[in-house]
Amino acid sequence: MLLPTALIPCWYSMISRVERQVNLNSHDFHSKLQYEIENTAKFLHPINSSATNLAGVLELSLNGTKLSFSMIETKVAPPLFQAWSTIPYLSQISYTGLEGLFFSYYTGQNQTLAVYSNSSYNSRSSAPNVKKNFNCYIQHVNHETGELYGNSIECPPLNLVNKRWFQEALNSTNGYASLETGWNNSQDLILLSSARINGEGVISLGFSAKVLTARFTSIDRQGGSLYLATKDGKVLIEELKNTHMVLAGNMVSVQLKKPNGEQKVLGNVSCIIKDGSPRASTLNIQGTEYMFYCSSLDMVGVQSVYVLAFPQKGLVSLVRKNRIVALALLIVIITSMVVSILSFAFIFVRAAKREMHLCAALIKQMEATQQAERKSMNKSLAFASASHDVRASLAGLTGLIEMCYEEANPGSELETNLRQMDTCAKDLLGLLNSILDTSKIEAGKMQLEEEEFDLAQLLEDVVDLYHPIGIKKGVDVVLDPYDGSAIKFSQVKGDRGKLKQILCNLLSNAVKFTCEGHVTVRTWVRKPSLQNSIIASNRNGLMKYLQCLFRKSNEAYNDLEAMNATQQDPNAMEFVFEVDDTGKGIPKEKQISVFENYVQVKETALGQEGTGLGLGIVQSLVRLMHGDISIMDKEMGEKGTCFRFNVILGTCENVSCNNAKAEDLEMVDGSHTPELTLSTPSPGLWLRTPSSKLTVHTTPSPKVTTSHVVLLIQNNERRRTSQRFMENLRIKVSVAKQWEHLPSTLQKIKHKENHSCHNSSGKSDLSSPSGYLSRSASNNSSGVDKDVPLSSMDGSDYILSVFKRTTPKFASSFILIVIDASAGPFLELCRIVAEFKKGLHNATCKVVWLEKPMMRNINFKHIEEDLVDPNDVVISKPFHGSRLYQVVRLLPEFGGTLQGNSSKLKEEIKFQAEKVPKDPSSSRSQTYIENSSTNKHSTQQVELQDHGSSIEETKRKSMSPIQTLSHVGSKPRSPPSNGIPPKEQEIQEIGNSNDEKPLSGKKLLVADDNVLLRKLAVASLLKLGATAETCVNGQEALDLVCKGLSDQRKLGASKMLPYDYVLMDCEMPMMNGYEATKQIRKMEKSYGVHIPIIALTAHTSGGEANVAIEAGMDVHLGKPLKKEHLLEAIRYIDAK
Amino acid sequence: MDVVVQLQRQLADHTASLFHEGFLNDQFNQLQQLQDESNPDFVVEVVSLFFEDSERLLNELAKALEQQAVDYKKVDAHVHQLKGSSSSIGAQRVQGVCIPFRNFCEEQNIEGCLKCLQQVKHEYSLVKNKLETLFKLEQQLIAAGGSFPTL
Repeated sequence: MLLPTALIPCWYSMISRVERQVNLNSHDFHSKLQYEIENTAKFLHPINSSATNLAGVLELSLNGTKLSFSMIETKVAPPLFQAWSTIPYLSQISYTGLEGLFFSYYTGQNQTLAVYSNSSYNSRSSAPNVKKNFNCYIQHVNHETGELYGNSIECPPLNLVNKRWFQEALNSTNGYASLETGWNNSQDLILLSSARINGEGVISLGFSAKVLTARFTSIDRQGGSLYLATKDGKVLIEELKNTHMVLAGNMVSVQLKKPNGEQKVLGNVSCIIKDGSPRASTLNIQGTEYMFYCSSLDMVGVQSVYVLAFPQKGLVSLVRKNRIVALALLIVIITSMVVSILSFAFIFVRAAKREMHLCAALIKQMEATQQAERKSMNKSLAFASASHDVRASLAGLTGLIEMCYEEANPGSELETNLRQMDTCAKDLLGLLNSILDTSKIEAGKMQLEEEEFDLAQLLEDVVDLYHPIGIKKGVDVVLDPYDGSAIKFSQVKGDRGKLKQILCNLLSNAVKFTCEGHVTVRTWVRKPSLQNSIIASNRNGLMKYLQCLFRKSNEAYNDLEAMNATQQDPNAMEFVFEVDDTGKGIPKEKQISVFENYVQVKETALGQEGTGLGLGIVQSLVRLMHGDISIMDKEMGEKGTCFRFNVILGTCENVSCNNAKAEDLEMVDGSHTPELTLSTPSPGLWLRTPSSKLTVHTTPSPKVTTSHVVLLIQNNERRRTSQRFMENLRIKVSVAKQWEHLPSTLQKIKHKENHSCHNSSGKSDLSSPSGYLSRSASNNSSGVDKDVPLSSMDGSDYILSVFKRTTPKFASSFILIVIDASAGPFLELCRIVAEFKKGLHNATCKVVWLEKPMMRNINFKHIEEDLVDPNDVVISKPFHGSRLYQVVRLLPEFGGTLQGNSSKLKEEIKFQAEKVPKDPSSSRSQTYIENSSTNKHSTQQVELQDHGSSIEETKRKSMSPIQTLSHVGSKPRSPPSNGIPPKEQEIQEIGNSNDEKPLSGKKLLVADDNVLLRKLAVASLLKLGATAETCVNGQEALDLVCKGLSDQRKLGASKMLPYDYVLMDCEMPMMNGYEATKQIRKMEKSYGVHIPIIALTAHTSGGEANVAIEAGMDVHLGKPLKKEHLLEAIRYIDAK
Repeated sequence: MDVVVQLQRQLADHTASLFHEGFLNDQFNQLQQLQDESNPDFVVEVVSLFFEDSERLLNELAKALEQQAVDYKKVDAHVHQLKGSSSSIGAQRVQGVCIPFRNFCEEQNIEGCLKCLQQVKHEYSLVKNKLETLFKLEQQLIAAGGSFPTL
């Protein structure tokens, strides 16, 4: 914009300068032309004076004498001739006397001629009328000498005296010039310049106008036209065509001559000279612009006017035209430019505006987002703190409800309401906990707590927990042993609580959303390889797996290397769990969102409460345990959902034996024999070391028969899994789907059995698998089954490795009938079985009744003795896990004893019925139980068990003493964390069977500010046979130790310790335990002794323990002081 | 004899309920085991010590929490002691409340502390009543000439 505005004036000024220059140039040219014209005129000017000069010369020579013709001839004619021949352009020269004498030379017909008149006027007084008679003669002149020759020709007289120019010349002293016609024949225009002589004659020189004007016309006028006229209107030159100029005073009017003769005035040109140069005026003549310059001119003494006309089509007009075009173009360009700039600016402005709007919107949006984030953050913070408060108050609420519950009359409405309130409050607490869990996981604060536990036990517990709920809905919850690998590696290290949480969550979901059919839980183990993991999480492949790993890495592993380390850890195994239900299932498209928090699949969630947090938590937990969870695709037509997840757990198979031993040491002191330990009916121990405890190595007998198991179980899934499990163990299994089918099945077996008995007397059974014998034999002989590398194991091998086969000593075959008591009318079933038994000749038969809990008493009381074999075993449902294994162990090959009709039988049955494992060494355990089971003890057991949150507690409450006793037996099946301290019995053992005081003779110092604790500690120590001194703070303890040490020194036994051990509370007034310990350590150095100091704190965290150790204490124990802990600590110190 | 049996049963029921409702835990059993001929009233002694101790602590706690500027360190120390002594006799509900109490102390949450103090007081009075009943029953049993059930 600025450039064109600057350029335009620049360009304009340049153009105008050029124009001005051009104008100036043309003006210059014009004025030069004028000047040249005028110059030419000036140049001609001297001609004017020649006449006067000549007259002067003549006057001198004449000396005023009167002239006669002869005088003229002699005196005047020669100078005239001389002048004639010398003066240029001269066309005639004459002397005219007043009296009529006349002599002249002139050029006519290319010859010099002389004209003269020799007669003068008669009288001196001149009278015009007498001149008429004068004669005139023409004679040729010799143009070299000027002599007249030839005949003189008479010609009419020239009346010159009367002419105006003659008079004028006569009167003027300086001569006179005028334009006259010449006196030769052609009547040419001549410029006549005349001067007087002596007042009586006139010399005149005539110049040819043609020659003079040729001087003017010969000037290069460059297209200009010249007009020249004398002031009295005689036109000398007129070059412009078709025009006619009329001189009027100082004006020249230009007239156009039209072809028809009319004249039209075109305009006037002023000839007044201003500022020394003629003014130019422009006139249009026939379409062409002309510049007219008019100026007066003195031409050889004749006043005249000339007009110069230039056509205006030259440079100036070109420049002018160009300027206009260029200006127009420029304007067009500029306008277009301006337009474009404006439009551009407009667009730019609009864009900028829009951008600003967007920017503002963005800022607004960002602010909104930030605000939302802040809000959400605040919300979650408030939420977290609120939920903390809520939990506290909720806990208070439940406590209060419980209290009220106590005081309410049983059976009253108030009690019912309170119970419901309690349930509600507990539900609320559960919800709250799940929400807190979520926030904990979100914050990444969830950590794994590694501990050793029994996976099989855990699974069974969880499944048992949900079994009653499932049964209530008509859904069977089945624990599928699968390939038995989970049993083999059941002793694992991992986060028990979280795994249980995962399983509980999935199971509760499965049970909740299943209305009919079954829920199956199965587990198997595989080597944790990358390959496997990819298969496990095959939905998204490697990336997901890696992502998963990175998520996990928050925990303990920071990168892939660590992961590799995990995988290379030979003890880490991948456990795959599947929870499979036959419920409504989850639509495919919802399957991904299921794992998001707060998402419930609407269609299936109808009427189901819950926050929708469950699966989100489960997923987070699974990932925390280095695994992944997914929903497995089911085949078409199959109902329900199958969740599968894998976690990596450390197995501790090799460690288990050591552990067991360590526990032994804990439980008993040295005097106990290992047998006694083993006999305690703890399935934990029992399962952990199956090979060493269950196996009865007997010499292989050549007579081997196989057992046969008949299953009558209503639920398809359970029947299938049980059957497969047994078949994997190479047990022959027959199944009956309904009770009506049982007789025929039994019949078949009986037939076969009897048949084989007839045929074979000691040889192997026809029905036994041919390969079985050799294989079992090889297994036994080589004993490799436990050490078979994992990779080479197939499913059955896992199980075989757990259930070690032994070759039974019994020659007769064994038939085990497992009957679901609720499958049909009980009496009918009993009858069928009894009938079957009657018909058996050679085989032993055992019946296992599967019972719903609570049903047994009723059934057995009303059945006649003969129908029920006292050998029969009754097992409460669910029939899986340890119950299943128990039944398997009834078989002779797996260590079961075959019952004869001995007198001991009844007692035995009782314990079988109570699910005490059939064990070769069980006799001792029985006696033990019987001995120790005093009334109070058993009651206490039950109470304790009730305190643990077992589902079956309500049922157990109302049991008869025998059942109660049975629970003593079955007690250890409930998880160790249920609040039953497993050491209870051990303590009793110590108390009852071992009166030794392990600390007898020892002297201890107890430093504790709390009277209560002090008293407790002292009592405990006294009980252990030690003597104790007490003090109330660190200072006192220090003093006592100091005194003791110095006393010892005095006695000369400086190496003796004043106290064998010091029990030091950490937090005491005056001087705390740490400080006291430091002081003691400092002091005892000089004595060269080391007094063991045991720290006591109420803190259980590791931090305190570290502080204690750093302070110089030997061992750190948590309060309250436990005898066995103390003993262990002392053992540890002594061992040091 | 009937009276003795009844009393024994009552005693057993009461003890069972104490455990069942979570007032006491296994530690109390240990306490009972420590009692023998040489130390016949050990449990009663220890428990009354606990009562004295707890009442003192509760009073001090109440005082400390009433003050304008609560000395949380002191409160924490008291609660710590209470926790220690309650866990020593196995009064696990009292002990249980002590845990959130200490948490509140750390957070310096006066409201929570007061709430917890109420709870502790409540639990304490409950367990005191229960234990006193227990001891009364035991005394009655002994007075009735019944043998004290051995463990």
